[in-house]
Amino acid sequence: MAVKRQLSMVLDLNKCIGCQTCTAACKLMWTNRNGREFMYWNNVETQPGLGYPRDYQNMGGGFDADGALRLGRQPSQEDYGIPWEYNYEEALMTGTDPWLRPHVKPTWGANWDEDQGEGDYPNSYYFYLPRLCNHCANPGCLAACTRNAIYKRQEDGIVLVDQERCRGYRYCVNACPYKKVYFNEQISKSEKCIFCYPRIEKGLATACARQCVGRIRWIGYRDDEEGPIHQLVEKHKVALPLHAEWGTQPNVFYVPPLSPSKYAADGRELDEPRIPLAYLESLFGPRVGEVLDTLQAERQAKAEGRESELMDLLIGYNHAEMFKLS
Amino acid sequence: MTLRPILHGSLALALMLASTGALADHSELNPNVTEVKPGDTVTISRLPEDIYLRVQNDPDDLIWDRLPMYRTELFAAPPVHRSVQLRFDDGASHGKHLYFQVARSSERFYIRLHWKDASENRATTVDDFRDGVAVQYALGDADTSYMMGSGPDAPVNIWYWRADHEQRIENLAAGGYGSTTRLPEQNVSGASDYIQEAIPQDSEWHVVMSRPLAAGGEHQVTFDRDRVPMAFALWEGSDSERDGDKRVTHTWILLDTAAGDAAGGDTES
Repeated sequence: MAVKRQLSMVLDLNKCIGCQTCTAACKLMWTNRNGREFMYWNNVETQPGLGYPRDYQNMGGGFDADGALRLGRQPSQEDYGIPWEYNYEEALMTGTDPWLRPHVKPTWGANWDEDQGEGDYPNSYYFYLPRLCNHCANPGCLAACTRNAIYKRQEDGIVLVDQERCRGYRYCVNACPYKKVYFNEQISKSEKCIFCYPRIEKGLATACARQCVGRIRWIGYRDDEEGPIHQLVEKHKVALPLHAEWGTQPNVFYVPPLSPSKYAADGRELDEPRIPLAYLESLFGPRVGEVLDTLQAERQAKAEGRESELMDLLIGYNHAEMFKLS
Repeated sequence: MTLRPILHGSLALALMLASTGALADHSELNPNVTEVKPGDTVTISRLPEDIYLRVQNDPDDLIWDRLPMYRTELFAAPPVHRSVQLRFDDGASHGKHLYFQVARSSERFYIRLHWKDASENRATTVDDFRDGVAVQYALGDADTSYMMGSGPDAPVNIWYWRADHEQRIENLAAGGYGSTTRLPEQNVSGASDYIQEAIPQDSEWHVVMSRPLAAGGEHQVTFDRDRVPMAFALWEGSDSERDGDKRVTHTWILLDTAAGDAAGGDTES
C-alpha cells in the first residue's frame, strides 16, 4: 500500500533492559481505562517465550505465499490475561480486609513468563522483545476488514481504525499475525496502537520511545536519508523486521541481540553465541548472522578507540537525533 | 471486488436449492404455516382498530397466534470478501428455517420472527459473538440486489436486532457491500424472548420489531407501495457468525401491503 511517507521505528534489542517503562507510558496514556484495561498496545515480552497474547506466534493470520489473507486463531480473553485490581482501600486504608489480594485469581497475563527463557545454566538465555503495532505497508488488519474501517494515513503511514465505521466484526483481530488489534467490549469496536499520532502531529516522539530509559528506540521517516531509520535499516542494514514471512511488511525494525558465548560442559568458552542463531533467524529472518557480525565488528572498533558511525548512532547520544519527525 | 466470489456463491446457492427437499426439517411441518420461497408474495395482516396491544412490542402477544405465519429457509450468504470466504465452511451448507409474521395497524408496521436456536448468545465480548436477526427492505423495486443493495443509487433499509441489546433495534441503510451505515433516526423498536426448552434444539428466539408506518427520514422503508421487497438474515453467535458470515433469504420475498387494507380487521382466518 503506497503512502506518501512512512513513519517507522527501530528498536535495539541489545539495549532493552525489560523495565516496561514503555509499556507503562503507553498504558497510562491510552489503555488504562474504558474497556482497554486488558490491552497492551505496547508490551515487552521475554523471548523465547509465549508472548502476548499467549502463543500469538502460532495463531496464524497474515498472508500466505501467494499474498492471500490467512485465517488465524482468535486469542481468548484468557490468552490476553484477565486484568486484576487489588483491594487497596479495604486492605490498606479501612483495614476491613486483612489481605491485600487481586479481585480475580490471576492465571495468566502479559509478561507472565518473564525471564524464563530457554536453556540450562550456564547456557540459559533470553532477551526482551518490545512489541507494538508494526504499521505495516501491507496490513493484514486492513485487508481483512470488510467495511474499509481500517486505513493507512497518506502523510505518515500510520494505520488507524476508523471508530465511526468499525462494527466490531473482529476480522482484523484475527488477521493481524502480531495480534496488535484488540476488541473493546465496552464499545464493541476494535482498537489498536495509534503511534501516538496526536504527539507525532506536534513533533513529539511516541510515549513509548520518549520514555524509554534504555534509549533503544529511534523514530523517523523511511525516506529521510539523513534520519535514523534510513541509516539503520538501509545504510548499515542492521535493523530487521519481526517475522517478515507473515507477509505484512512491517515498519518496525529490530537490531537483533548479541549474546555471550556458550559454555562447554567442562567450562570452556565455545565459539557459539548463547542465543542460538537459528532461533534468532526464526524471528528476524536469514540476515541475522550478517547483522550480528557487523555489530560485533563495529563494537570492537569502538572499543579499540576507532571511529564507528554505527555505534555512535546506536548509542543514541541525544533525543533530537533519535527522533526525526519532520 | 471481483466477480469470482459472487459466482462461487451463486453456484453454492444453486447446489443448496437443489438439495432443499433433502435438508428440509419435516419435524417442523405445520399446516398452519405457509411455506414461502424467495420470489413469493406474502400478505400483510391488518390489526383492527379495536385491538389494543398492552405492550407495543411483545414477542409473545396473543395476537401473534391469530395472524398468518410464514416460513422460509435461509441459506449461507455468498461470501463477497475473503474474510468471510475463509469462514465459509461445511456448516454453511445447511439451511435454517425462519418463521415470520407481518402486521400493521393504522399507525405502525410490525414484524415478528422466530427460529430455533440451541444456544442463547447474548454477549459481545472478546470471546463471544451475539445472535442476531435482520429484516432488509429494498427502497426501490425488486431489481435491487438482495445482497445489501445495488450501490448508493439503489439502497436498502435494514432493521437489525442484536441479542446483546434486546430492546435496541439498529435502523441501518446500505448501498452495496461494506457500506452498512447507522441512520440518524433510530425509530425502530422491538423486543425479544428466548424460550428455553428441555431439549436445547427446540429452544427458540422470538423477536418482534416495529416502526411507525411513516418513514422518519431518508433511506427508510415506506409501506405506501403495493409491493415491498423484503429479505431476512440470521446470525448464529455460537458459530462466530457476524457481518457477511450469516444465513440469508436468497432474492426477495414480496410483501403485499395493499391486501392488508382490503382485508381490514379480518384476523379470524
